[in-house]
Formats: sequence, C-alpha cells, structure tokens
Amino acid sequence: MSILLRDAAARYLRTKGPTVTDGAVQRVSVDVELDGRVETVMLSFRDGSLCCVSSDGRNDGPHTLAALQFIAASERRDEPPLISLDPAAATLSERPPPLELAEALDDLLTAIARVGADKAGYAPSVDAAIERVVQVAAQPTPAGLARFVGRLQQELRSGEIWRIARVLEGASQHVEALRASDATRESEERIDAWLGPRPGIKPSVELLYDRTMIEVGREWLACTDRARIERRYLIDAQSGAVYREDRPRNAAASLGPCPRELRVGLAEVEAGPSPKRMRVLQYEVDPDVAIESWDCVRQVASHSIAQLTESYRHSVRAYPALGEPFAVIAPYRIETHDVFKAFDSDGHQLVLDRTERRGAVLAFYDLLARGEQLTWVAGRLTDTAATLCLVPFALGTRNRPYVRL
Amino acid sequence: MAHNEQNDVEQLALCLQDGIAGSEHVDPREALGLTADAADAHVARALVRRLAEYDLDQIGTHELDPQAAQHPSVRPPTEVAIDPSFLGRLSTTGSAELSVARIDDIATILAVLRAGSRRQRRAALGTLRERLRDRRTMSGDALREAVQTLLELRDVELGSELAQIRAELPGTQGREARNEHEQWKRLSARVESSIAAFWDGQSSVEPIQALPGDQRALLLMRIGELPDLVVHHINAIIEGSDGCTTLDSRIGLLASLRYATDTRLVPALIAVLEAERGELVARAARALGGIDDARIHPALVERFERSFMEEERLALAGSLGMLGDHRGAAELRSSLEEDHPRLLLQALEAMESLGSAEHTDLVMKFLDHPDVVIATQAVRTAGRIGDGRVLDELTEKYNATSVPALRAAIEDALSAVAARMELRGEEAAKIDWSEVGNKPDPRKSRRDSFPAIILGWRDCFMGRVWLLLGRLSWAIARFESAAARRSAWVVPLIGIGMAFARREQYALALPAFRRAIEIDRPRIERNPILVRAMAKAFLHRAEQVEREGRSDVARGLVGEVLALDLRRAPGTVRFELKRKHEAFRREEHPHVDSAA
Repeated sequence: MSILLRDAAARYLRTKGPTVTDGAVQRVSVDVELDGRVETVMLSFRDGSLCCVSSDGRNDGPHTLAALQFIAASERRDEPPLISLDPAAATLSERPPPLELAEALDDLLTAIARVGADKAGYAPSVDAAIERVVQVAAQPTPAGLARFVGRLQQELRSGEIWRIARVLEGASQHVEALRASDATRESEERIDAWLGPRPGIKPSVELLYDRTMIEVGREWLACTDRARIERRYLIDAQSGAVYREDRPRNAAASLGPCPRELRVGLAEVEAGPSPKRMRVLQYEVDPDVAIESWDCVRQVASHSIAQLTESYRHSVRAYPALGEPFAVIAPYRIETHDVFKAFDSDGHQLVLDRTERRGAVLAFYDLLARGEQLTWVAGRLTDTAATLCLVPFALGTRNRPYVRL
Repeated sequence: MAHNEQNDVEQLALCLQDGIAGSEHVDPREALGLTADAADAHVARALVRRLAEYDLDQIGTHELDPQAAQHPSVRPPTEVAIDPSFLGRLSTTGSAELSVARIDDIATILAVLRAGSRRQRRAALGTLRERLRDRRTMSGDALREAVQTLLELRDVELGSELAQIRAELPGTQGREARNEHEQWKRLSARVESSIAAFWDGQSSVEPIQALPGDQRALLLMRIGELPDLVVHHINAIIEGSDGCTTLDSRIGLLASLRYATDTRLVPALIAVLEAERGELVARAARALGGIDDARIHPALVERFERSFMEEERLALAGSLGMLGDHRGAAELRSSLEEDHPRLLLQALEAMESLGSAEHTDLVMKFLDHPDVVIATQAVRTAGRIGDGRVLDELTEKYNATSVPALRAAIEDALSAVAARMELRGEEAAKIDWSEVGNKPDPRKSRRDSFPAIILGWRDCFMGRVWLLLGRLSWAIARFESAAARRSAWVVPLIGIGMAFARREQYALALPAFRRAIEIDRPRIERNPILVRAMAKAFLHRAEQVEREGRSDVARGLVGEVLALDLRRAPGTVRFELKRKHEAFRREEHPHVDSAA
C-alpha cells in the first residue's frame, strides 16, 4: 500500500519539534483511491466500538479495508490492533449480560408500582433500583438508557401518572426485548435504541448524502445527571424530515450555532425513536441561514394537525419511554385570546404545553401580543390531558424569518 | 361500557399512584385479568401496559381545560417588600401608569438618569432622546441642561445608548460620536468577513478573540446593531460549539457581554445557565440580568433554586434583583457579613440591585477596604442604594483619600444620592463642593528661569517639528531636553507618551505617562484625549505582557491605571480594564467547581 500521505505527515511533524501527546483521535475521514476510484471513508470510535462508513455504501468493502490498514499500520506494528476489523463485532468495553439489565429494570418497575408513583420520587427502594440499573449497564451509560432514567425522574417529580405509566411501559417493552428468545427486527432496533450498537450485531443505519439541513432549536436534556445531552433539532429542507443530533457533554459533534444551515455530505441515520438520531460525518456549516432556506422550512412544515396527532401517537406507541417527537407546523389560523390555539384547515387544534420551557412560552405570547403574524412554529410534541400540545422552540413570522425561543 | 372502562382505568391509575402494596384501593390483579397469586412484577408490567395503552388511545385534539392552558404566570411573589417610593414604583415600560416614558419634566428625567436602576436609566435615556428630537417643546434652559448632562455622563452600563443619542447631537460632540460610529461600522464589517472566512474553513483564527480588548469592547458595545451572522457566531462561542475557544475565552466573552441588551443572545445565555457551572453561570446570569426578555426570569429562578455554589447564587441573586425579584437579598446580606474575600466584589455588585437603606451600614464598612476596587465598588453600591445618611461619610472619605479612582467614584455617588433624595421627595441634599473639593495640588517646584522657559519651548517646538517629519528619535531627544530644562513641566512628557502611544510602542509610552502623572495628574485625568491615550497604553501593554506569560506584571499595570480617575476615558477602555482586572482576580482566587 502506498503510504505517501503518512510519510509526508511524518516529515512535517519532524519539522515542528515536540508535539501534543495526549490527544485522542476519535474520527478520521480519508479519501482512498483504489482501482482508479476514489471513495471517502469515515472511521470513528464510538461507544467503545469501531464504526466504518464508506461513500460507496459498502462499509466492509475494499476502500474501507484499505483505510483500516492505513490506520492500523500507523500503530506499532508488533502489537495486534486493539479493535477488531469487523465493524459490527468491534468493542472494547465489557458488556453485562442482557438478562441482568432486564432484571434490574424489572425490579425498578416493581419498586415503583409497589411504593406508588406519588412516593417514588423519594423512596430509597426506587433510588436503589435506579442505581442498580445504571450499575449493571455498560459504562459509560448508553444514551438511550440514560435518557430513560432522566425522563423517569422528571416524570416522577412532575407526578403526571399517565406519563409515568408510559415511561415505565417503555422499560417493560425493553425488558421483553432483552428476554426474547427469538430476536425480531423490532426487538433488535429497540435494544439498539436503548443500549447502542452491540457486538456481533450490525446496527441498522441509513446513509444520507447531499442534504441541506436547517437547525431550528436545541436543548439540554437530563439523563442520569442533569444536562447530560445537548439535543439539536434539524429539518431536512427538501423532505421536511426531522432529525436529532445528540451531543453528550464534553463530546464532539458537528460545529456551529443555532440556527445554522448544514450542507451534509454524508450522515448516518439510526433506526429508533422519533426524531431519528443522525450522526453528521461530512458537512459544511453556515451560521447565516438565508431567507430562502427559511422559506423552505415553512413550505415543508406540517399543515394537518390530525396527521400530526396520528404520527405522534404512533411514535410514542413504538417507543413509549424514548420517543420525543418534534415537528414544524404551519397553522391555517391561530387564536390568541386568553389561550393560544393553532388550527389546521379541518379545525383540529394544537395548544402550547406550559409545563416545560415556561420562559419560551412567555416569550411566544409576548411576540404574538406585539402583533407578529405567525407563519410557522417548531417544537417538541407532548400531550396534556389527552390533548396534543407543543413545547415551542422556534417560530417564523411575516416580519422575521426566524426567532429562537 | 365505556363508562365502566374509564372507571376501571381510573381505579388502576390510582393503584399506580398510591402503590399496589397500599391497602387503600382494591387489588388490581382482578381488573388486570391476573390470578390472585400473581407476582408483583407481573402486576406492575400489566398495570403500566394497561394504563399506557388507554392513555395513547385517548390522545387527540380535544378541547383543553382553559385553566390548564392559560397564559402562564411565572413571576412568584417576592419575599421583600418592593420600594414603595416614586423611584421604586417607576416602571420602564410605557404601559404602566407611573412610567419613565410619561415623565414630562426634564429635571426629573435627568434625576432618574443619575439615580435610577440600570433599566430606569436606560428608559430615561430613551425618553430624553425622544424629547430632544422635538426640541421645540423644550425650553432653552432645559435643552441646555439636558445636552450638558448627556455630554458629562460617563455611564459604562449605558455605553451603547449614550453613543446613539450623542450621535444625534449637533456640534463637535455629535461629530465625534458619528465618527466613532463610522469606525464601529468599519470594524463590524471587517469582523463579519473574518467570521464568514472562519466558518468557511479559510481561517482557523477565531476573529472575536483575536481583537484587541478595547476593540472587542467597542464591537460588543453596539451588539444590537451587529448582523445576525456575527451574533450567531458569538452564540456559538457562548455555547461552546465553535470548536476552538477555550474555557477562559468563553468566560472572557461572557464578561464582555455584561451590558449587552440584545435579545438574540438570550437562548445561548440560558443554555449556559442550564448546562454549565461556576464562573460561566455567574457571567451568563449577570449578562441576562440587564436584558428585557420574558424568558430570563424563569431561567434565573430555576437555576437559583437548584444552585448551591455561592459564586453562582450571588450573581443569580443580583440578576433577579434587577428584575425586581428579591429572593436572594437575605443570602447576599449574609455573604457580605461573612466578608468572604473571593466573593466580596460580586456581593457588593449584586447589592447594587438588591440593597436598601437597611444595608447601608453593611456596605459602608468596606469604604476603607485596602483593595481600591472593592472600596470603589462599595462607594458605587452606596450611591445606588441612595441613602442620604452616607453623604457626610462619603465627603469625609473624599477629603481623606489620595486615590483618584475612589475620589471619582465618590463624586458620582454623591450626585446619585442627591438625585435619589430629590426623586424620593426628601429634602434636596446640598453638596458643598468647596468642602468636598479639597484636592491635593499638583506638585509645586521652584519657579523656572526665563531662559529655561524659552529654551524649553524651543526644544518642545522642535520636537513637534521632528515628529511631523517622522524623525521619532530626534523628536524624543528634543522632548527629553525640554523636560530636563523644566522639571515640573508635563508638556514634553505628554509629547513623548503620545508619540510612542500613536506608534503602538506602549512599553516606551508608559514611563513618559508615569512621569507626567507624577508631576500633574489632574491635567491628564481632565483631558479626554490624554486620558484615552494613557489608559489605552496601559491596557495594550498589559495585553502584551500577558501574552508573554507575565500575568503578574499585567495585573500590576491594570491595577495601577484603575487607581486613576478614568471617567473621561472611553467607556470601552474602562470596561475592558475592569474586565481584565476581574479576570486577574479570578486567577488569584481559583474557581472551585460545584457538582450542580
């Protein structure tokens, strides 16, 4: 294999003298030429696993292998590589047997049911059960499981019995998936959503090429501890699909402020709860979103609140503990008397959820009180008293293409 | 049937709420179709499944209980009674009955401008701006008084608003303000193109941090006029998503945004409150306290309620105080009583918005603090509290101290207290400036001989000629010669200092300025051009030595210049010097992370 690039890098480093020794390379992107064809291969080390993505879609193809050989050869040659070259099988961290986690989740569910949701927030037995769930899981705690713990604690504090039941039902479904003797595609996806990629099982990802994404909002979410994950909400300017990019604290993700326009060269989208998680691998960022792009957001916004409700119900039913759907809505008309209501052309209504992001809700009302005419609004969907609600994150008006709340 | 199902499910919901081990409700096993000896684990799973299914089936677009959906009121009652006086009730919004916008009397507006809270001062400036636009409605005396006050006002907190209103004035001052605005526009355009290059990947240097301190302060002073691209870039730094800025630089930028009023910054600053800790939270809270936006109060309250780190709590309490929420007042008082050296400055600053007459004694005890910055802040806080009892003590301190910065702060505080007393309807305080103005005379020396005066002027003149011709070394030699002939004459020393400062040779300018200050400090302090050049020379030199890793030297330079009366220096330079001084203090008292 030609290693001209590595030789050039070595020569350059020799001219720079002493260099940094502590850095941990987490992702590399290499252009590999093989048989006259150039493909971009992205290698990353994520959740203790090696992940390979090639622009030709063949993640175990010759270009990927060439890139892996290039990286592996830069390690000491007398030592075997720490990571298996089989991307799906590669893992470093010790993983607990799934049944132990299933048992811990089952115990948590039982503990809450025994003591009651009203007292569960300060019951030692529930605290101990949560601790055990975290302890038996792989370290660091997988994002899905961590978010479940965060949501459960949040709902126990709020005392919303229906939401508590829903989050616990999500855990119960996950327990069943872990205990299932015959794995189905659905159960595999559910386990992936909770625990991330597992050794020996190829994660179900879809590749995206050449898309324009607009980030309309971001928020910090509680997991096993407060503000553990920063979630960014991205809208595909062509299809209107909503994606999320989760950035764990102190970890890298795509750069840029909110709002921003991302021209995504290559990204992977995981199967799982709504909105689907996206990992942006190649991108260009523009922090100044053009007015035309905001027009695109308005055009792809949902016009039917009935459809939105159905899609929300479907998303939450599929992942009761992890589904946190996000939507962009272009209301047919709004009412702003005592209560804000957005209506579609069929008269179905949507109201604001005032239990979360209270400041954003206040600012939303202030904007409307100043006479701003709403053209679209983006936010996380929730439900209160069996009614579909929206936690607002951003909006557009006739005078201002975008306002972040 | 449906009714029965609803009843059953509600019964099951009660079971989950109170616990299946409780004896108050019926056993859910039968309702769930389980045997009587079914294990609790099975019951729990069946129970949540039944409830979740029922709940999901119900979700629709029903009418919501109006009570549950109404406009949320999030401002909780404050524990401390709001100041019932005119100033305490004076609203900054036009809709209220007693609001700044409705004041017609120019003298009252000017008094609010001197004595009000930051919001009230800003609103008063806005009202005055409107009045000045329609000058026919103002009497000649009122107009003159208003313009004079505007020109004399050195309020760093209102830097942006003052610059805008001065630019609308006729004459030299207006021209200068317009020139400064043009300079700002050029700087803004330059930074905007650098930012575009940064995100395009053409440059790896973050453009805001690369600016000299005073230029950064100048740029950010008018942040409300900056294009979206620049503000979004600033938000990326604040949130730590620009990929290259260090923690110290983020803290520095947040400190620079302290007096910003742009609501575009609010989501990023609130994200810092939600996700970060320590110094970042304290800085973000201080910046948020000055912005008018509905999102801020809930975010500050939420963070205050869960924060247990004193540094954060003091800043949050001060910012809540600026929004009229006094929940942190008692804690702030305790902090001042404990006299914690690391948090003293923050506590005194927070007391500006939370203090009342009962805190006057507590604040005044720091008037004799050995650290000039603390003593100056105590004076400033006493001025904001505005209790008339401090007038004598402040006057006494004014006559006793030899620190120019402290004297300047006392002058401002005396004016503010007098204005506040006037607005409260108390007997107007007559400050006897003849007693207050007991300033030390410039150093006297023997009278120069007539030939020394002539030769001195000749050397000085020649020095200026050489400067015009670009012969710096020859010019300096002439100036030095003139200074040697007349040891108490500052003109040649000022010439040397200005010549080096204009050429950005700050290390060489400093000795000349120091000698000039030693001979005739008031002359430099009173001249806006000289004080600007001198303050900038100290600031830029401090930045230079800091970059070389000599922070102690830089700290000394900043401390030295902050002891002078800098009221006539540009607000941006004063602001940057104070910011730097605070940053050095932070290094001196290392930050302790909380686990919040």
